Amino acid sequence: MRKKQCIAMLLAGGQGSRLGILTKVMAKPAVPFGGKYRIIDFPLSNCSHSGIDTVGVLTQYQPLELNSYIGSGQPWDLDLNSGGVFVLPPYQKGKSGEWYRGTANAIYQNISFIEQFNPEYVLILSGDHIYKMDYNKMVRFHSRSNADVTIAVFDVPLEEASRFGIMSTDEEGRITRFEEKPPHPTSTKASMGVYVFTWSVLRDYLISDEADPTSKNDFGKNIIPRMLNDGLKLMAYGFEGYWKDVGTIESLWEANMDLLKNPPAFDLYDDKWRIYARNPVQPPHFIADTAKVSDSMITEGCDVAGEVERSILFAGVHVEPGAVIRDSVIMPGAVIRSGAVVTRAIVGEDSVVSAGCTVGAEAREGESNLIALVGQHTELPENFVVKPGDQIDSDMLRLERSLNV
Amino acid sequence: MKDVMGLIYTSKNETSLRELTASRAVAALPVAGRYRMIDFMLSNMVNSGIRNVGVIMQKNYHSLMDHLGSGKEWDLHTRNDGLFILPPFLTRDNVGSYRGILDALHSNLTYLRRSSQEYVILTNSHTVLNTTFDDLIEFHEETRADITLVYAHKDPSEIDETVTLSPRHVYLTVGEDGVLTDMEIGPTEPKSHNFYMDIMVLRRDLLLRIIDQAFAEGITDINRELLQRNVHNGPMRICGYEYKGYNHRVETINSYYSLNMDLLKPECRRALFGTHPVYTKVHDEVPARYMEGAHAINSLVADGCVIEGTVENSILFRGVRVGKGAHIKNSILMQGDTIEGGVEIEHVILDKDVTVLSGSRLIAPKLYPIVVGKSKTV
Repeated sequence: MRKKQCIAMLLAGGQGSRLGILTKVMAKPAVPFGGKYRIIDFPLSNCSHSGIDTVGVLTQYQPLELNSYIGSGQPWDLDLNSGGVFVLPPYQKGKSGEWYRGTANAIYQNISFIEQFNPEYVLILSGDHIYKMDYNKMVRFHSRSNADVTIAVFDVPLEEASRFGIMSTDEEGRITRFEEKPPHPTSTKASMGVYVFTWSVLRDYLISDEADPTSKNDFGKNIIPRMLNDGLKLMAYGFEGYWKDVGTIESLWEANMDLLKNPPAFDLYDDKWRIYARNPVQPPHFIADTAKVSDSMITEGCDVAGEVERSILFAGVHVEPGAVIRDSVIMPGAVIRSGAVVTRAIVGEDSVVSAGCTVGAEAREGESNLIALVGQHTELPENFVVKPGDQIDSDMLRLERSLNV
Repeated sequence: MKDVMGLIYTSKNETSLRELTASRAVAALPVAGRYRMIDFMLSNMVNSGIRNVGVIMQKNYHSLMDHLGSGKEWDLHTRNDGLFILPPFLTRDNVGSYRGILDALHSNLTYLRRSSQEYVILTNSHTVLNTTFDDLIEFHEETRADITLVYAHKDPSEIDETVTLSPRHVYLTVGEDGVLTDMEIGPTEPKSHNFYMDIMVLRRDLLLRIIDQAFAEGITDINRELLQRNVHNGPMRICGYEYKGYNHRVETINSYYSLNMDLLKPECRRALFGTHPVYTKVHDEVPARYMEGAHAINSLVADGCVIEGTVENSILFRGVRVGKGAHIKNSILMQGDTIEGGVEIEHVILDKDVTVLSGSRLIAPKLYPIVVGKSKTV
């Protein structure tokens, strides 16, 4: 195998339980985003544009959808003879064989995969953020500053800082303190979950961490604090631009709506940094005589005859005449029937919102204004109501029906 | 259908398509918002399970080659068989320009000989339809035909016979047993309404014999000198197979315009997109964006478009921008067109990358759409 300066390892095994029923049957990185993308398209496109042509994708939770989506890696130009994209599920080794126990353990279990490429640096990525980033610049920064680890950081408002891994640095950007979700944060530099490690250093730490039975085998909880304790050189790499964690229903909805801002908060039109995605093979969308569309994003295969305002329709969505969609995200193949009203909601893949249904409601001042969610492959009965903050899918409907009988 | 190969013959540029075919073959003509003409025939073949497709090219094939690439969008980038692009090449016997399909096939004898399939489906590239060829092959075997020609029933009003076209339209008279009893070439008043679609199937070994013989006898016109002669008094059993689904031939500006406009009808959209997928080269476009104040009805809109104005009864290809206050009506706007604010457009076909400056008005009668060539500024 040709030697690679830097390879990427993308942690895609998490369940994403904060996305509720949306991740019941698919891993978080496979969740659709922005009309024609999935969350994993963002780190994969970033790798492709950054010249990182070897990417290991560590999967564990509900991997089928993700595996078939990644395929040979062709949409991201990662179908290569030397390098490319590799899906890495946990596997049996000799007498042992186990699930990935934590982020660090997942990398530990793939040491032999990484060694094949004999890299100088390993880039660790996660599959739950929307951003465009030139990883190559970060790797250059890492090598120039002779760091052992470089962590990409993003400035967050102080009141939100306790949701993140927070770093304090000296004037040169060297990390002096690292706290995972501190209750009383003293800095606003949040870890983006993007790390560059010098491989020889990380390798030793992974092995010794594995030998420690008390460790949770997690980068944020174990590896980074130990490296800091041992006096290694940890650098913070400041990132400016759009970066959004889409780990909750509310933030996923918000990040989608960010695309509709004028000018958009996140620019998908950048010719030099296109976000690649697997194409759904559908004709252009059709807007009927009865349609009323404004301030929205609509993609291939849609057939729109109703009213669509400030919303994002994914491939193959059908909106019947008289249906109303406002401030919502409608995922691939969903059908919104006549007379249904969908407001501030996410409707999952291939679901049907039947006639007369009301999903979600307008935002009101002083209220919590939560998002309503209809899961995947769910057909709502006619005139069904899904309140803001409620989640409903076919399993729940079945349960409800059996309780009513 | 592993035992069938496909051959698509892309004609020379057709003058009756004016500017649209000035720099591209008809096969590469953009249609239906995101496709090229050839995508339909190529997808039909792939959807029929055909794994070996040759595309015979003549002039102006740059854009066609760019579009087809390695054939990966059609899953034809395989180790065995796959997509074969066959441009003309100069040899002792070949002057680089074909005098018809027989001549073109003779130049590609090696490819045909090397292929392993039993049958060949030979088609032109100016017809749009969405089908699979399984029934055709079954018919061909059942009728024990040597050659089966595919036709569609057309009402005379559907066909514009006033335009002199090359090649001329062909009409078939078919007996009850499916065997052809007559073949008319370019009649002013055809006896039959069975319009030959330029799709035929025959055994590969028979095709090889026909090509050899045609070359020896100096025959170049496949319709008149080979098929018609045989129908009247020849040894071959030539049958006609009726294709009953939607099909549309593009050979004039009007037929190009009406094909695109057909796609605004739900039954035509269903016929062309509702059954088998149509593959095409992928561009990584952003979903279409409708801005505040945009107004769009009865239109087909591709990804990458940004609409601020009004769009009515129109086809917008990928990446078209429609400025504030612009009004697009009954028009076809190809990839990358920019319509500035306040522009009024009706019955217009804009080729790729055209810019219409603010304040312009382009309004044409329905029967004679304005055509603006590639990369022009109006």
